[in-house]
This record gives sequence, C-alpha cells and structure tokens, in this order.
Amino acid sequence: MSAAVEVAAVTKRFGTRAALDDVSLSIAPGELFGLVGRNGSGKSTLLKLLAGLLAPSEGRVRLLGHEPFRAREAVMRDARFAFAPPALFETLTARETVRHLARLGGRAVAPREVDEALAAVGLVERADDRVRTYSFGMRQRLALAIALVPRPRLLVLDEPTEGLDPQAVLALRALLLALCRDHGVTIVLASHLLGEVESLVDRLALLQEGRLLFCGAIDELRAGSERLRIVVAPRDGGAGAASAASAAAAALRAAGIAATLRGDTLELPAGSCTLEQARALLQAARLELLEFHVERPPLEALLDRRVAQAKAASHGAANGATR
Amino acid sequence: MSERLELLRLVRSRRPLLALAALLLFLVLMLVGFWSYAQARSGGAATFEYTYENKSYFNGLTFALYAFFFGFVLLLPLFAALEGGAQLAGDTGSGTLTLLLVRPVSKTRLFFGKLAVAFGWTTLLTALFVAAALLLGLFAVGWGDLRLYPGVLQSAPRPQFLPRDVALQRFALAWLAASLALLAPLSLSFWIATFTRSAVNAVGAAVALYLVAHVISEVHFFEALRPWLFTWHATAWRALFREEIAWRELAHHAAALLGQSALFLALAFRRFRRREEP
Repeated sequence: MSAAVEVAAVTKRFGTRAALDDVSLSIAPGELFGLVGRNGSGKSTLLKLLAGLLAPSEGRVRLLGHEPFRAREAVMRDARFAFAPPALFETLTARETVRHLARLGGRAVAPREVDEALAAVGLVERADDRVRTYSFGMRQRLALAIALVPRPRLLVLDEPTEGLDPQAVLALRALLLALCRDHGVTIVLASHLLGEVESLVDRLALLQEGRLLFCGAIDELRAGSERLRIVVAPRDGGAGAASAASAAAAALRAAGIAATLRGDTLELPAGSCTLEQARALLQAARLELLEFHVERPPLEALLDRRVAQAKAASHGAANGATR
Repeated sequence: MSERLELLRLVRSRRPLLALAALLLFLVLMLVGFWSYAQARSGGAATFEYTYENKSYFNGLTFALYAFFFGFVLLLPLFAALEGGAQLAGDTGSGTLTLLLVRPVSKTRLFFGKLAVAFGWTTLLTALFVAAALLLGLFAVGWGDLRLYPGVLQSAPRPQFLPRDVALQRFALAWLAASLALLAPLSLSFWIATFTRSAVNAVGAAVALYLVAHVISEVHFFEALRPWLFTWHATAWRALFREEIAWRELAHHAAALLGQSALFLALAFRRFRRREEP
C-alpha cells in the first residue's frame, strides 16, 4: 500500500537559510503520527509543505498520491489541515463557517454532517454565535470541526490541544483515536506537548533546527533508556537483604553490568540488560528477584538527549573540519 | 461555493456600512456646499430650490451629476481599492486565506470569486450612490431638464440640453460605464494586494497610485501620457450626457480601460497563483 504521506529528501530554503534540511519520512495510511520539535525546528514549514502552501526547494512531497503544491485541489479533496493558531472568519457563526467551508469544492453537505462535527467538538450550544465571541479553546475546537466535514482520509493537526481544558483534551484524544481506529483516518499531529503526542501516536518524527533527528516508533526511541531497579533475596533465606544485594551486585558486575548498590536496592544502568537477563544471572548466583521497578524517562528527556547527541556530533564534525 | 462565502463575509463586515455612510455624508456636504455658494452669490437670498446663480440651469439632476462626478473621482475608487485590499491582502494577513487554500478549491476559483464579489459590490455601491444623489437632488432641489455648459461636467464645445427623462436614462448608462471604469482601480488594488500581507498597505498603495495617475492625467504638461493612464479614460462616461453620444469615442475609452484592467488582473492572478504562503 502506498504511503499516505511521503516526504523524500526535502529541503526548504528561505533565502539562504534552510528551514528544513534533507528531511525524509513516510506515514502509512491509517497511522497516527506525531511531529515534534521545539519552536523554530521546522515543524510549521513541514506542515505548510504538506498543505501545498509552500513548494520544496529540493526533494519531493506527496500526499495521498499527489504533489500538494502542484495539485493542491486534488490533495484537499481528502486531506484536511488545522493550523495553529486557528485563523477563522470572525463575523460568521460556527455553523456557517463549517457549512460554507465544507461546500468549497462543490460537494453538497447535509446539515446533519455539520451538526455532528460541531457536536463532536462540543460546540453545538454556541454554534450560532459569531466566532469573534469565542475563546481561544473554542476556536481550536471549531478549527477541528471544520477539518472533520466532509470526513477526510488524512487529517493534519497543528497543536490541537493548545488552549483546551483537560476535559476537552480527553474528548479530543478519544475522537482522534476513534477516527484513526474506526474509520482508518491517517492523522498527523504536530505538537510541542510531548506527553500529548506520546499518549496518542504510534510513531513520531523529531525535528531540530530543520533536521530530522529521529523518525520511528516511540518504543524504538525508548530502547535502551529504561532503568531497572531490583530488590533481591537469597534463595535459601540465610543472609540478610543487604548482603544479598551485595552478592547480586558482584554477580552482575562479573557479567559486565555496572550495577550500583543503593541500600537494599540495585540500580542497573539504562540498556545494560533486560529484566530476563538479570533474573537469569541472579538465579545462577542463588539469589531471587523479589521486586523490580522499570524507570521510564519522560519523552522530553529522550528527545533532549537526541538533540544533545546531534549537537555533539555536529560540533565534533565542525572541530574535525577545522583541524 | 467561494463566491457565496465571500458575499456573506462582505455583508457581515463593516465595509458596506462604512462606504454607504461616507458616500451619504459626501452628498450632504456637496448639497451644503452648493447652498452656501449660492447664498454667497445671491446675498443670502438663495433657497434649496434654486441654489445656484441661474435657476433655469441648476436643479436636482445637475446636482446629482456634479455629486456623481466628484464622488466617482474622489471616493468610489477608494472603496474599490478597499475591496481589493480586504479581499486578498486582508485575508493573507489574518491567515484566513490559508483556511480557504486548505479546501478543495482552485486558486483560480478563489481569485475570481473574490474579484466577482468585489466588482459586484462596487457596481451596487455606484448604483446606490447615483440613486441617492438623484433622490437627494429631487427632494432638496427639485427636478427639471438637464442643461450643461462647457466645463468640468461636459467637455462639449457648446451647451447641451437633455430632457429630464432622457437625462435619467443617461444616468443609468453612466452608472454602468462608471462601474466598468472602477474595475481599473479595483484590479490595480488586487495586483498590489498580492505583494503584501497588510490590507492597509495594499489600499494605501493602490490609492496613492490612483491619485498620482489622476493628477498626471489632469495636468496638460503630461498630455502625451494620458492614453496610457486608466484615470484619463475613467471619466469618459461624461460624454453620455451629450445630446449626441459619441459611441465610437466611448468605445475607445472603454477598450483602453478594459485592456488596462485585464493587464492588472493578469499580473495579479499570475502572482497569486504562483506565490507561496509562508
């Protein structure tokens, strides 16, 4: 099956500055994909390239089989975008906005479809109020409702949870998951709220200063980052907890695992071994694993580490070049 | 369709009300100006029925034609430029153009939809202005036949006389011709609006260019440039108030106006279609 979104070696320059530099990624149909990065990382530029608002300086962008800058109309038949902050027609009501925008392109839209979209984002009660009276959160919800009519095959959302209250965030999360799982809608979610992205997406791309630092599954990003903390006891129940922990540390160190002793607890460095490997080593030393705790660093820390690694690598390359 | 959406947005905006209020105020000022002038000339004996030095010459139709001419030169191009600026640059600046561009509608359709609504509104505004000038003339001054002497309203070498009913028909023709002439400043503002994200800048630049072109076309020193300036051709509709209409001359001016409008529109459309939306 061909990709819903395909970005191949794309560079986008504004004058001499490269806002995106040789970025490649592919998103499969029905996937919930995250696009993360700090301000100025190139997220917005990439979204505008996907929407056909910008043309790539180099490389190729394809959405649903079409090049968006050249065939924007064809792409937009099945793709919807909601940019942040939402720009809306201030003098129209939410209902008018959704209905009129849905009709662009010549498709007839049933009032029921409009009502359903407004209900999905919780705007039915204020649907006939002018947009200029809306709060930021309501504007965000309206932007999403606009993107839902008619139902798209591809939905690209820029910071969709910004300004939403916790209840609305939960409702949005449920809505996106339902769209993806029940209707096979491909969703691209751009956000700097990494926790939000982590709770929803299967895969993500990390952009930093226009470069793609990572693109893959969150598990892949986490691989080797989980720290194991264990509490052990002797099998025969003879020695105390402290001496069992010392014995376990010695057994693990003998296997090349730099375990750190903290009272009765052993801390194993990230990526040094799996839980099963640790259990096997302890069994061999006649020790029993009583408790274990897997420490997962937050996604922010993992991404920060990637950014730091990339910076160190580019510094190294620069130093090498000057020598 | 995009035209329906643009029309709804125009109706809901403050622009129509602002334009109508400004034009009505202008008409009232014109009327007060004529009255005060007549007061000065008649030693304070003038009434609104005869507000000029020669009561057989000045009536509601003369007032309407004066008001229409000066309104056409001074105000209507401003509102035409305002539409161009608001429709393209305003949408670009506020980000609502993006909202339209991420729907399955071509840039061609969007551009010409906006143009159609802007031109339609300018035409309606011109009609309302002419109608208001005639009504104000009727009620404040009273109607009669239209007599015109060589001067600002009529460049014919001898005085012209049009019976009232014929003059009213000529007003209808003048409305159509003037509306067509306003396509030029409208197209110019569309073109300028493709260069900027600010409606104010687009309108300001279009009005400034219009004024420069208008001044140049009125100064005899630049006579050789006149055929190239749309402002020179724009007021040719005055010839409709001659006893014998010089259709060939009018057609020449109309062709020049349409040609220049088409050029501005072609440049605007080319840029709009190709440009990126950063």
